[in-house]
Amino acid sequence: MQSLREATAQALTLLLHGDAELWEIIGISFRVSGGAIAIATPPALLAAFLLAHLEFAGRRLLLSLCNTLLSLPAVVVGLTVYLLLSRHGPLGDWRLLFSQPAMMLAQIILALPILVCMGHAAFQAGDRRAWETARMLGISPLRAFVMVLGEVRFGLLAAMLAGFGRIIAEVGASMMVGGNILHATRNIPTAIALETSKGNFPQGIALGIVLLGLALLLNLALQYFQGRGRSAP
Amino acid sequence: MSRRMQPEIEIRFSRLHKFFQRRHLLNDLSLSLKSGAVTLLCGENGSGKTTLLRILCGMEKPAQCWVAFNAKNSAGAANNGKANAPRPWRQCRPQLQRQVMYLHQQPYLFDGSVVRNLALALPRNLPAAQRAEQIQRALAWAQLDDLAHARAKTLSSGQMQRVSLARARLRQARIWLLDEPTANMDRAAQTRTVALLKQLKQARTALLIASHHHEIFAELADTCLTLKQGRLIRTP
Ligand SMILES: Nc1ncnc2c1ncn2[C@@H]1O[C@H](COP(=O)(O)OP(=O)(O)OP(=O)(O)O)[C@@H](O)[C@H]1O
Ligand SMILES: [Mg+2]
Repeated sequence: MQSLREATAQALTLLLHGDAELWEIIGISFRVSGGAIAIATPPALLAAFLLAHLEFAGRRLLLSLCNTLLSLPAVVVGLTVYLLLSRHGPLGDWRLLFSQPAMMLAQIILALPILVCMGHAAFQAGDRRAWETARMLGISPLRAFVMVLGEVRFGLLAAMLAGFGRIIAEVGASMMVGGNILHATRNIPTAIALETSKGNFPQGIALGIVLLGLALLLNLALQYFQGRGRSAP
Repeated sequence: MSRRMQPEIEIRFSRLHKFFQRRHLLNDLSLSLKSGAVTLLCGENGSGKTTLLRILCGMEKPAQCWVAFNAKNSAGAANNGKANAPRPWRQCRPQLQRQVMYLHQQPYLFDGSVVRNLALALPRNLPAAQRAEQIQRALAWAQLDDLAHARAKTLSSGQMQRVSLARARLRQARIWLLDEPTANMDRAAQTRTVALLKQLKQARTALLIASHHHEIFAELADTCLTLKQGRLIRTP
C-alpha cells in the first residue's frame, strides 16, 4: 500500500492536471445537488413564510415535525425513494431509478426540512412589521412576500448553504437510488466510497480534498451571511 | 383631483371586544372615525391602545366587532339618506385595509434609501415624472430633503417617524391611525409633527392619535378618549 504522502501528492496532481473523469464526477455532484436546492427552495421558503406569519391549527405540530425530519437518516430516504421508483413501485412507470433525477429527488427530500426550519427561523427573526407595512402601503401580497424575502435575504442564503452542505456530501441515498454509475450517477461521495474499497486512494483523496474545501467555503459563507443577517439593524 | 373633492367618509365601530388569553383587554367599545375629525386616545402602558388601532385598520382579529361605512357627499347628507347597517369586522376587513392607514409605534423602513421607501407608497403604474414630483413634494412636506438619499435603516427614530408620515401621505389614505407619532422626538420635531397633522386635518383626513403626550395634541384634537380597564372614557 502506498504511503499517505504519496497518495496525497498523486491526488493533487490529478486535481491540478484536470483529470477528466475526476472533474466529471465533481460536475455531476454539483449539478445534482445544485438542481435539488434550486427546486426545493421556492416551496420551502413559501412554507417557512406561512409557518412564520400565519396562525393556524397544527402550526406547532408542523414545526416539530419539520425539526424531527432534520435528523432524517439519509439511508431511510434512499430506501423510500428506491421503493417509490422501483419497477413495481407507485412511480415505477417513470423509469427513474438509477438516474440523476432519482438522486435529485432524494436530495430534495433531505434538503426540505433544513430549508423550512432555517427559513422559518430567518422569517421569525425578521420583522413582522415588514409584511404589515408593505400591505399597509397597498402592495400586493405577492410583491410584499418578495419584499420580505429581500429583508431577510441573508438568513435565507444561510438556509440554502446549509441545505446544500447537507446533500452534497451525502452517500447513502445517492448510492441506493443513483447506483454509482460512471458518467451518469457517480458523484463525489459515492466515488470516494468506491475508490476506497478498491484501494485506489489518490482518486479518493482528491475528491475528499474537494469536499473538505467545499465544506470550508460553505462554512465561511454561512458565517458571513449569518453575521450580516444579525448586524442588519 | 384635490382631496377636498372626495366624498367625506365615516366609519363606525361598535361592540368591539378583544381577549388575550383570559384577559378582557377591550370590552364593548364603540367609536367612529370621521373625515376631518381628530381623536386623541390616551391610556396607560399596556391599556390596549396599540391593539385597538391594529383592529381598526384590519390587521388584528377582534373577538367581536361591527363596522358601518357611511359615505357622505360634500353637502353633508348621507348618500342614501340613511346610514349603512353594521356588518361583521371580518367582512369589512379588505375595505378597512384599503382605507385605514396604521402607522406603527416604531415605524418599519425597508432596506434602501428614504426615496425608495417613499416610492413604495405610490402606485406602480405612475409615470416616472409624476412619481419624482410627488416624492419631492412629500420630502419637502416632512422636511426630509437633506435625507432623501440616506439609508433608511440608519436614520434616528425621530427621523424614521417623519419618513413614515411622508410615506402615509403619499398613499393618500383618508383615515390615519397614529401610534405614538411623537415618541422619540425632540420639542422642535414634535411641534413640526403637530403642524403636519394640522394640515392633514384641514385636508379632511380623519386622525386617531394614540399618545402619552396629550398636552401637545390638545389644541388639534376634537375628542379625547381614555382607555382604562378595557373601557373607553370620553375625557373633556
Ligand atoms: N399577541 C399578544 N399576545 C398576548 N398578549 C398581548 C399580545 N399583544 C398585546 N398583548 C397584551 O395586551 C396588552 C395591551 O397591549 P398594547 O400594546 O395594546 O398596549 P398599549 O396601550 O399600546 O401600551 P403602550 O402605551 O406601552 O404602547 C398588554 O398587556 C400586552 O401584554
Ligand atoms: Mg402601544
